[in-house]
Amino acid sequence: MSTATSETVDAQADAAVEAEEKKQGTVARLWSQHYDLVILPAIIVVGLALLFLYISTQQLDSIEQRVLEPANVLGLLRQHLVLAAVSTILVLVIAVPVGIMLSRRWARRLQGPVLAVGGFAQALPPFGVLLLMAFAFSFGPTTAVVGLTLAALLPVLRNTVIGLQQVDQSLIEAARGMGMSARQTLFRVEVPLAVPVIVAGLRVALVLNVGTATLASYIGAGGLGELVQQALRLNRINVLLVAGGIIAAVALLIDWLAGVAERVVVSRSG
Amino acid sequence: MSETTDQPVVETPHGAGKPDMIVLEGVEKIYPGSTQPAVSELDLAIPQGEIVMLIGPSGCGKTTTLKMINRLIEPTSGRILLDGKDVTHVNGDQLRREIGYVIQQGGLFPHFSIADNIGVVPKMLGWDKQRIRERADELLHLVGLEPSTFRDRYPRQLSGGQQQRVGVARALAADPPVMLMDEPFGAIDPITRERLQEEFLDIQRTVGKTIAFVTHDLQEAVKLGDKIAVFATGRLEQYADPDTVLTRPANDFVSDFVGGGAAVRRLSLVELAHLELHPVETDEAGTSGATGQGTAAGSRNGVAVAEVDGSGRPVSWRHLPDRDAAGTPLVTVPISGSVYDAVDVMLDGCASLVAVVDEEGRAQGVLHWNDLVGGLRTRQGHA
Repeated sequence: MSTATSETVDAQADAAVEAEEKKQGTVARLWSQHYDLVILPAIIVVGLALLFLYISTQQLDSIEQRVLEPANVLGLLRQHLVLAAVSTILVLVIAVPVGIMLSRRWARRLQGPVLAVGGFAQALPPFGVLLLMAFAFSFGPTTAVVGLTLAALLPVLRNTVIGLQQVDQSLIEAARGMGMSARQTLFRVEVPLAVPVIVAGLRVALVLNVGTATLASYIGAGGLGELVQQALRLNRINVLLVAGGIIAAVALLIDWLAGVAERVVVSRSG
Repeated sequence: MSETTDQPVVETPHGAGKPDMIVLEGVEKIYPGSTQPAVSELDLAIPQGEIVMLIGPSGCGKTTTLKMINRLIEPTSGRILLDGKDVTHVNGDQLRREIGYVIQQGGLFPHFSIADNIGVVPKMLGWDKQRIRERADELLHLVGLEPSTFRDRYPRQLSGGQQQRVGVARALAADPPVMLMDEPFGAIDPITRERLQEEFLDIQRTVGKTIAFVTHDLQEAVKLGDKIAVFATGRLEQYADPDTVLTRPANDFVSDFVGGGAAVRRLSLVELAHLELHPVETDEAGTSGATGQGTAAGSRNGVAVAEVDGSGRPVSWRHLPDRDAAGTPLVTVPISGSVYDAVDVMLDGCASLVAVVDEEGRAQGVLHWNDLVGGLRTRQGHA
């Protein structure tokens, strides 16, 4: 096996070079791979700074001051994030197990119909769904969460099914061939390999929910939409500017955070 | 030469002392929705420690047969015995943990490190961490990969050949007596494949597993197999050692499948070390002058004389019994090679004879082109 030995020596040299590179610049390597991640936060910071600069030059009347009080804005922001977070968690809890189930051999026939229903739910305009549900059931955050969850189920469901489908069949065969049970194969091989795709779907759902949560204020569930409504009711253009700016910044920031999380997951799962 | 019979020719194992490790008895597989059996009424016995190559055209049932041995595919009828035990109805998952399994390109899990990949089966069998780690290092050594470099890497950081080595190591992890290999070297470039085959034989000499090996490459089957099982659409057409399959195909199907070139292919089965070679004598360069050459030629009539350098390696012919020594180029072939290699060297060097040399490069004998046509003589004591 002389050939194997020479290869081993090469590999050792490779490893030495790799270790050297690692020492020199983990930071530099991270920077060169992920420098694009800095762009979005920079834009957000600059945008918000310009907005505050502009507002600070304006003479705010007492109504504007009351609406833009930090306590009011932060309270609405918190409500908004809770709505988005709770509905996304519900999506995760419902769509991932259902997606896994649909990818099993015995449930393959259900796949088409269930995905069609998911597509149907996504195609409905969320605003209309929220209003109809509010009249049918009740006004308030619970209904809003249910509506948001329904509207965001599809991306996660579909990505779970696709993520599991694209796992190399030969790996599943290798797992079974080595004596893994169907269950072990699912949780040790299939799901881990599908995680990047599932996470991508979750990111879409989260961003969708953060945006749609703005509409929740129309059925009395609060959130940043409330700020917009207040501004419109009071006819205060400065408040509207701030509301719009914050909503945009939050949506972008959440998307950015989800993007970072996605990269971490992808880099870990090989 | 090819006697056409309807019955598959199953010859009794020549190593009569070895018990059969894998036995298939009347095994049949009919896939749901199909009336034609994929494998029908198959009887096959694989003796302990032998490599049996399952070969045939696509869809002939060779892979189905392999997968029925570890029950990845459940046989429709028949019995499967492993080491004398009927395993047709035992728990399939438990059974598969006792059987090594290698597939094309290794089938390594991309999200597991190399050590974790090798440790999959031991972990399921409940070995402790320390033992799994030691076993992984031991096996990496065995397949020629330095453990300290490779154990923490991921499969994507390895070349195809390295991945396949890890695949073999993984199958050996729990030291199963039986290994099943499904075209393991199929997707690897020819040069690496050849090297992996050599290494595989080396490893097999150490571990002595009972191996069923699916391939579609006759060259590979001849090179690796102790026996070859030729399949045609669900039937075993011939089951015999490579030499017999090449020289005495059981029927028209096998002879078609083996095709032309069987005689040439057979040359790779004949090892130079087992041949009776013509003797050769050596003279060191510079020790003999013009008169010396004359006496050497005169006294050693009938024996080839090669001129050697300081370390005993032949550099040119000084005397050849039946031709002009000066006009004949000297080519060498290592004694570890086969007659195929010797022919290759002769054709390449435009020489009608070749010096067979040992590991140190010293001449051990001479093989003439005429020997090939006149019949090769095997040395006493070698089959």
